[in-house]
Amino acid sequence: MSVLQIHAHPSRATVWILSWFLFATGVISYFWVSRDRHRDNPDDRVMPTLRQMSQAFVDATLKPAEDDEVAANASQQSLVTRIRKSMLWKDTIATGRRFLISMALLFPAVLLGLHMGMFPHVGAFFLRFVLFFDKIVALSLLPILFIAFGIDELAKVMLIVVGVAPTIILDAFNLTRSVPKEQIVKGFTLGAGDFSITYRIVFKQIWPRVLNSIRLNLKSVMLFLFAGEMIASTDGLAYRIALLRRHMGMDTIIPYVLWVALLLFLVDFGMRTLNRKLHPWFQEA
Amino acid sequence: MRKILPGLSLLLLPAGLFLFAGVVSAAGNPPSFTVGWSVYVGWDPYQYMAKSGMLKKWADKYGVAIKVQRFDYAPSLDAFVAKNIDACAMTNMEALDMPAAAGVDTTSIITGDYSNGNDAVLVRHNLTLGQIPGKRVLLVEKTVSQYLFERAMALNNLSGEIKRVKYVNTSDSDIAGAFLSDTSQDVVVTWKPLVSQILRGKGIARIFDSSKIPGEILDLLVVRTDILNRPDGSGQRFAKAIVGAWYELTSQMSKPGPEGDKVLSAIAGVSEDTLESYKEQLSTTHLFYTAPSAVEMTNSAQLKTTMELVRQFCFSHGLLGDKTSSPDDVAIRFPDGAIQGKKERVRLRFDASYMALAAQGKL
Repeated sequence: MSVLQIHAHPSRATVWILSWFLFATGVISYFWVSRDRHRDNPDDRVMPTLRQMSQAFVDATLKPAEDDEVAANASQQSLVTRIRKSMLWKDTIATGRRFLISMALLFPAVLLGLHMGMFPHVGAFFLRFVLFFDKIVALSLLPILFIAFGIDELAKVMLIVVGVAPTIILDAFNLTRSVPKEQIVKGFTLGAGDFSITYRIVFKQIWPRVLNSIRLNLKSVMLFLFAGEMIASTDGLAYRIALLRRHMGMDTIIPYVLWVALLLFLVDFGMRTLNRKLHPWFQEA
Repeated sequence: MRKILPGLSLLLLPAGLFLFAGVVSAAGNPPSFTVGWSVYVGWDPYQYMAKSGMLKKWADKYGVAIKVQRFDYAPSLDAFVAKNIDACAMTNMEALDMPAAAGVDTTSIITGDYSNGNDAVLVRHNLTLGQIPGKRVLLVEKTVSQYLFERAMALNNLSGEIKRVKYVNTSDSDIAGAFLSDTSQDVVVTWKPLVSQILRGKGIARIFDSSKIPGEILDLLVVRTDILNRPDGSGQRFAKAIVGAWYELTSQMSKPGPEGDKVLSAIAGVSEDTLESYKEQLSTTHLFYTAPSAVEMTNSAQLKTTMELVRQFCFSHGLLGDKTSSPDDVAIRFPDGAIQGKKERVRLRFDASYMALAAQGKL
């Protein structure tokens, strides 16, 4: 039973096998059931086969969305133009834009948290409200959000900001407060002013941790973004998934979901790498 | 391990007993069927039917057990396509583009009602249909809402302009709030009770509704064909039981005065609605209260015309699947044996025989 011990040292091969085991089981059982269902009903759409999914993915990357004007000479265009006019590209750009805008809007939240932690009056002004706001389930207040921000782009971005910003603010606030008082006192004795202490001593220290916390909130950002796109929109990855669900287009939905997972993974990986490059002294998972 | 084992067996024991009990009871019980429904004026009666004991009476008569389960509309379709439930309430359009197009052979056994104003196009600023192209339209895309809107355009010779309309796919759970709160939106297409809710807003008018295309948006009860064809005949007994219960209930609903009101308010109650609101919805629903009227509709030539429109709509909007090269690949069979599409690819069947049995009083 040594395999169940804390001291166990699995070999390289064992680690490799163990770590891929659940993937393999998932994939194999999916195709097993899928094959069964297709034998029973050749038109089954609930669990598409690998060939159907790859065909649908190729279509998504090479063909324009059905509602777009289709150019007569579509097949003669170069591969790059075809990809750039494709449904997947268009949806990815639309969703990506919303994602980036809302990420950019999360940075002021960090600064707010920092100031709340540093300046007692700012803290007194905001803290209680943000604490309260953090517990509000934004999705249940949609009609009010619609009044304030309409139902277009702004509403989708604001849904994310309202949903995620309080968490980021509070996190930045707590990290700020956890910087040892001695450092601040020392800064003053060395002649630093309020703002140079805030930005040059405290901010520099909490920044990598804040980046990390934004990274951990990527999933919430994406959930709110998807919710927003499913509520009302004309393009985007979640819009397409919502539409395809109307006629069980699982052959496109599954590749779309995997594509979103890949994109999220890449953003996560990119932020982790960036954080490590920018702050080599920062050692935290 | 030692400490875990007793805990585990404590957990497993009830589970095992439960399984055992399940096996034993399954052996002695009549075959059981599940009917899925979602909140809609024409489908709310199913829940009342189960709650009032009427359904049980009929099920017992035919030696089956029938369970009724409430869903949201889209999940009810998913459950039916995945074969988790045996029968489901849905429109003629979804019957074609969901189960039938996904290869699940489906038979409609009850033609319950048609929308006679339940679905509507609503506008601000007194827009006309001709002014809508170029504007944004809030609706749940690829549903009867879009069908209704495009039929409205077609009937007003504006088919060519449909391309210029910008659809905003809006979830039905938020569409009323979205349209009422965001006054910059001009057009919305949706169904009751949302329509009534939106019309209460200021400066909003109805410019088209389903009463102008009577009989095209039908609400059906569909059953998987393989259930009806079960060799032991239990599927047919199930169909007879539910049709019998349905027409007993509709005859009670149509009684004038307090007697009918009592039933209607009980039906309204199961979907958290009021008698007044339910009656208002019924006023724009052409419910086939009697079996002969439903049989007549199902056997009519009009049904064929409607289904031709619907299948062309579904095909041109990709609702029959990207790989479907022609609307004929998802064929429809009518009670008189006529088939729209390829004979060997019949996926949706209209069967009036159970309703006819009810009409003849033979259930």
